[in-house]
Parts: sequence; C-alpha cells; structure tokens
Amino acid sequence: MPTVEGLISQKLYTIDPLASVGRAASIMERYGIGSLPVVEEGKLVGIITSRDIKRSHPNRLVADAMTRKVITVPPTACLTEAQKLMAKYKIERLVVTRESDIIGIVTFAQIMSELGKYTDSLTGLNKAEIFYEKALELLKEGQEIAVIFLDLDNFGFINKEYGHIYGDNVLRQTALILNSLIDSNKDTLCRYAGDEFAAVTTRPLAEAEKLARQMVLALTNKNWPGKIKVAISAGVAGGRCSELRSSGEDSSYIVKYLVNTASLASTRAKKVKKPVVAVEAIEFKETVGM
Amino acid sequence: MTLQETSRSPEPQRKADITIKLSEFEIPPMQDILLVGKRAPIGPEAVRRMVDAVSPEQYEIVRLNHEVFEAVVVKKSLLRLLPKEKLLPVVIDEGNRIADDKMVVKAQINITIQINRTVDL
Repeated sequence: MPTVEGLISQKLYTIDPLASVGRAASIMERYGIGSLPVVEEGKLVGIITSRDIKRSHPNRLVADAMTRKVITVPPTACLTEAQKLMAKYKIERLVVTRESDIIGIVTFAQIMSELGKYTDSLTGLNKAEIFYEKALELLKEGQEIAVIFLDLDNFGFINKEYGHIYGDNVLRQTALILNSLIDSNKDTLCRYAGDEFAAVTTRPLAEAEKLARQMVLALTNKNWPGKIKVAISAGVAGGRCSELRSSGEDSSYIVKYLVNTASLASTRAKKVKKPVVAVEAIEFKETVGM
Repeated sequence: MTLQETSRSPEPQRKADITIKLSEFEIPPMQDILLVGKRAPIGPEAVRRMVDAVSPEQYEIVRLNHEVFEAVVVKKSLLRLLPKEKLLPVVIDEGNRIADDKMVVKAQINITIQINRTVDL
C-alpha cells in the first residue's frame, strides 16, 4: 500500500507559539502553504491553519490561535489510513511524525490525488496494486489470507452483442454488487484486470468460499437490463502459509502463488460449470519447492 | 494683499505642545478579573505569560466554552473567598451584557462576607 512518506515535501516550515498570527500569515502567504506546525523547544504543540488565521486577530500569539489537538501519522501510514483519519477528525491536513520528530505535512488534496492513481476509474474499486500491497501487509502482520478470484463469463460476447457501453455498465454494476458483500475490516476488493475481480481476505478458506458463493449468486440473481444473463465464476485459494513465511521466503511469492491458484480455480469452475472452486494451499512449502 | 507681498511673508513657525500625564503603572496592569473575548487582540496564552511574568502564581486562567469569552483570568486570592463555580458565572453574566468577542474586559471585584455566629454563654 502506498504510504504518506512519498507525499511529504522536502521543505518544512514551522513556527514558534510566541510568534504573532500576523507573522504566521505572512510565512504561509510567502511560501504558499496552508498550515504551519507549531513547535516549542523541538516539541510539536499545535498546528495553525489558514482557517485559524482567518478567525483570529493578527496581534494574537500563535499559541492563542492554533489548534492544540494535532492529529499525526507516521510516515509508514498507508494512504487509506491517512484518508480515514482526516475523515474521522474532519481535517484537511495531517502532521507526519517519526517518534517525536516532525517530518512534514500531508494534505487531503495530496492524498486524494495519489489515491486516484490506485483507483480504477470505471468501477471506483482499488486497482490490483492495492490488492497486492494489502495481501503483503496482512502476511507481514502474521495473518493467514485467502484469495478470491472472480471472472465474468462470456464478457467478450456481452461487449460484442450489446456494445462496450453496456459492457462497461455491467462491470460497474458487478463492482457495486461485489463491494456491497465484502466486509472492509476483513476483505480488500479490486478490479484485477478487464472483466476480472479479486479479493484478499483474512477469512478462513471455508468462509472465503462461502463469500465467493454469495458473490456468484448475487450476480446471477440480479435483474440485468434487457434481461441478459450475466454470470461469474470464482476460484478461491488459501490455507496455512505460516511455514513458508517463517522460513524467510519472499512474501510476495505467496501472494502471487495464491492469485495464480485462485485464477486457475476460477477457470476450472467455468470448465466444470461450478460456481466456485476452492483450493486449499496446505503444505504450501512443499508445493513451492516443486 | 498682492502676490508680491505674499512671497515676501516669513515662513510659518512650527511648534509642538507636549502634555505629560504621569501616573503609577499598575502591577499587574489588570485588576481582579480579566474577561478575554474570543476574537480579542490578545488571547489567554498571551495573558497567562504576561501575568506569570509580572505577578507569578497570583492569577489563574480558566478556559471557557462560551459564545463571547474564551477565558477568564482571575486573582487566586479571590477564589479563597469564593469558589470559582460561584464567582465566575456572575462575572461572566455581567460581562456578557456589555462586551463583545473582540474585547478584553477588566473587572474589579469587592467581596464582603457576612457572618453571624452564635456561641453558648
């Protein structure tokens, strides 16, 4: 997952709490910035923003105009985590700190712009990069993961028969349905590519399989415009990967293996005309060693 | 007066009158209570640093959640006579009648305590 560290500007301007609001305003105007962390004896004591300045007399001390409660994030915080913090506290800026050191400031606009690069513009879902980053993050945390890989059936036919605008609408509706079924605390969904979707989940394999069945069923039962039939096949892969992880292997290999296994399982589901095929990746270490 | 006469007239004399009023500077330059408006030119932190510098440990700053005033600076000795829960609402209520959020209002407080005690003879 991309982190806030990449968004921090090189030059950081701070201000003393005993400086005047007028001085803070002139620094912000000169450097075209919207806020200044307030630092006293090397310690972050507040933040003064353009909003604070607008409602304060310019003669006031920064200490009397600043916002005292500063919401901070470490540079390793992912962009979505930063976005959630901003939404929770209804703020537009976060101060980035490493232990007690102030590293910089990130703004809501920066975060949204960066997140846009990892969001699929058609469906609004995450792109595959976020899926991979999340899977790696979960493995690093020591969690077991499962991958659900979903592939729309005969999507090429839909595009050719009804046109690409209709096909795009099917993709959007599919994304909406899949997104409504996931639990964001457990699952991360993405548009993997074209007519393929994938989710990484911390659910046990059996539960992941159950979720995949719900997804397939929800799409099949939807009343699509023109009464066309849209179906999707799912492959699920998961199991105990702890042995491999503890052996110091590259975690990305586990993720790639699970994605590959799940995608092959979805192909098999199409062939055998089953909605879901699940593959348990126990003894994963031996499989990798083959 | 002709133009020639005007050009010959002397330059006007410029004088300054100086009026001096001397009086003793009050230390601290405030009285018993200060009500600090939310948009006043000085805020409670500036007041705190000022009173700490000129009268250390004699004043207490109480931050308020009030529509006009941001804080009250009160002489600690007053709070020995009357708890702040009793004193401040009265002062804030009266201050609110005359002040707006751009003002800093100082208040002089006189407290008289009346006591009647009866003892057995």
